Amino acid sequence: MIIREFGFRHGRKALATPLRQTWLRTLSTETSGTPVAFADPALESALQGSPDTRTVTKTPALFNQAAKPTRRRPVIPDTTKEDWEAAQELRRNIGRVGSRIQRTYSPFDVFRNPPGPKDVTLELLMASQAHMGHHTSVWNPANARYIYGVREGIHIISLEETAAHLRRAARVVEEIAYRGGLILFVGTRPGQTQIVTQAARLAGACQLFTKWIPGTITNSDKILNRMPMKVVDQFDQELQGFNSHLMERRALVPDLVICLNPMENFTMLRECGHVNVPTIGVIDTNAEPTWVTYAIPANDDSLRCLAVIGSVLGRAGQAGQRRRLEDAKKGKVEWTTPMEIQQWMTIQNRQAEYAARAAREKQEENASAASA
Amino acid sequence: MSALRHSFRCLREFRPASGPQWPSATTALAYRTRTSSPSTSRYLSTTTPRPAILGDDIHADKDIAIVPASRDTPGKNEHSSSGGNGAIQIAYARAVPHSPSYFSRQPIFNDSFVVIQDLARKYGRLPILPKDKVALTAWKTKEQYRLAAGEHVKGRDYATCMTLAKRLNQIHPDLKPDEVKEGLAPFMRDINYHKNRPKIVPVDRFGRSHGVGRRKSSVARAWVVEGNGEVLVNGKPLSEAFGRIHDRESAVWALKSTDRLDKYNVWGLVEGGGTTGQAEAMALAVAKALCTHEPALKNPLRRAGCITRDPRRVERKKHGHVKARKMPTWVKR
Repeated sequence: MIIREFGFRHGRKALATPLRQTWLRTLSTETSGTPVAFADPALESALQGSPDTRTVTKTPALFNQAAKPTRRRPVIPDTTKEDWEAAQELRRNIGRVGSRIQRTYSPFDVFRNPPGPKDVTLELLMASQAHMGHHTSVWNPANARYIYGVREGIHIISLEETAAHLRRAARVVEEIAYRGGLILFVGTRPGQTQIVTQAARLAGACQLFTKWIPGTITNSDKILNRMPMKVVDQFDQELQGFNSHLMERRALVPDLVICLNPMENFTMLRECGHVNVPTIGVIDTNAEPTWVTYAIPANDDSLRCLAVIGSVLGRAGQAGQRRRLEDAKKGKVEWTTPMEIQQWMTIQNRQAEYAARAAREKQEENASAASA
Repeated sequence: MSALRHSFRCLREFRPASGPQWPSATTALAYRTRTSSPSTSRYLSTTTPRPAILGDDIHADKDIAIVPASRDTPGKNEHSSSGGNGAIQIAYARAVPHSPSYFSRQPIFNDSFVVIQDLARKYGRLPILPKDKVALTAWKTKEQYRLAAGEHVKGRDYATCMTLAKRLNQIHPDLKPDEVKEGLAPFMRDINYHKNRPKIVPVDRFGRSHGVGRRKSSVARAWVVEGNGEVLVNGKPLSEAFGRIHDRESAVWALKSTDRLDKYNVWGLVEGGGTTGQAEAMALAVAKALCTHEPALKNPLRRAGCITRDPRRVERKKHGHVKARKMPTWVKR
């Protein structure tokens, strides 16, 4: 744009628009008529008493405004931590005020306070929907002895059977834990992760909440190759010096497998059957009870029921581990060193013996040579 | 129990169970007595034969000194019967898995995932920051995690885990427990590249700034000071250093394109390559040094083509070719 023609082009337009109020204010040199409040009354009277001496400089409002830059958004201090702590404190103080509800259901109670084998009651099992079977048309007649009857088209599992079988399974878990067995909890359906991990944590056992890799037992040399292991003594303290054994030994096989969903894990149960690993399974009315060694007839589609069963078995394992460690302190150990480790130790001892003998013979030879 | 298991395994080698699932009491007892007295000379094993038992094994004395890890409970785990000289004196030993996820395909990932899930459940109610206020974090990608853990983690599982991990990372930093920081560590990269800052090259006490430029196989170093336009390349004036006028212009193009030719002196050292490469390497070196004096010039210099390094190099010759791509002449018949 050519600047010298700017006036001709835009002057008409510029003159046509009236001046805005704000512009007029910038041009004025008068102060506003707002009364000034003085902090000091003496000063105020002095100023107002003698208007001649008032020498207030009349600076334009434009410069006054420019002299005082203000931030638009003040920085708010972050009080999240203090607020949170105050809220917690408040909750601690007045959280329990009010009427007290005796019986409530919280879905996480089973994880906060897991029931053990002694807490197994028919009420608990019924509350956790253990009795609900499948539609009568999909039943497996082998389960007839666990079925109480039919209601609303579904089979109802006899909770007395469930409780009895659950207690028996708990005994099995406890004794195997007591004898230093390797227990494996399996629940591969979505949502069973927490149940399985909690049971395994309680029982000091292994867990599996992802797919069972076919051949983990029958082809363990390939599948579990180089999986880290350690050697422990009767107090569960790690023993050093077994590295060469751990490098060359074969993979571990569980001594007991607890399966929460046998229907999806046929392969695993089959492999366990191949190598004589006892299994415990939750058998619904549509499942085949002969797949597992110890069946627990219950509803395997309810996570609530499985959480109860898992925590009962986990608690049983915990009791067994505790008993084992207590007895170990008293000098009573109910398990023997596995044959593989015994063989390895024997070989090591023999090698040491040979080495010592060879060293001794060499020493004697040297001595005889020196004397000759 | 476990002893029984392993002995079975050694003996039977996964033969399908034909008889009863549990052995009769007498056989069990027989195995038990056999395993409890291992010092007998005969082994009932069908596994591969052991390495030579004779004393010529060098590694023999490596694993001899085996002691229980717990020194505070001595005497209970040791047989007093076996003699001294470094023999193994352990009564009870069994192998157990290192991780509870031993039987799964990705034990390292599964253990970390369980930790993350527990933390998300435990600390899910702590106040969180909005996503744009969270400090930038360098997460491992799926491929990087696979490399680090050595496990082929499924993409879906990793994505689920990362969703939880990122939610945990949003927890207000003043309230974030150490547990959460430890739990998130396996999914973070070792170096947070968001914290990387470019190194600031200062002007030294003589008013010089230093820059390095490369082009083809030439490397140029240039020191730029405020002055009146003197340029020395390898101790020679520009007209002697570069024969072509085009090269002379290229060497000081950074100054010329920004109209600073009469305001700075340049002292450069160039080596390697030919004249074109040397001249254009100089251009980059001078531009970098000039940026130290006047950082605002970076964009004009970029537009002038003095900031971006030209990555092209001589293409290597291939076998079967005469040059990099030229094929030998070939006439049919």
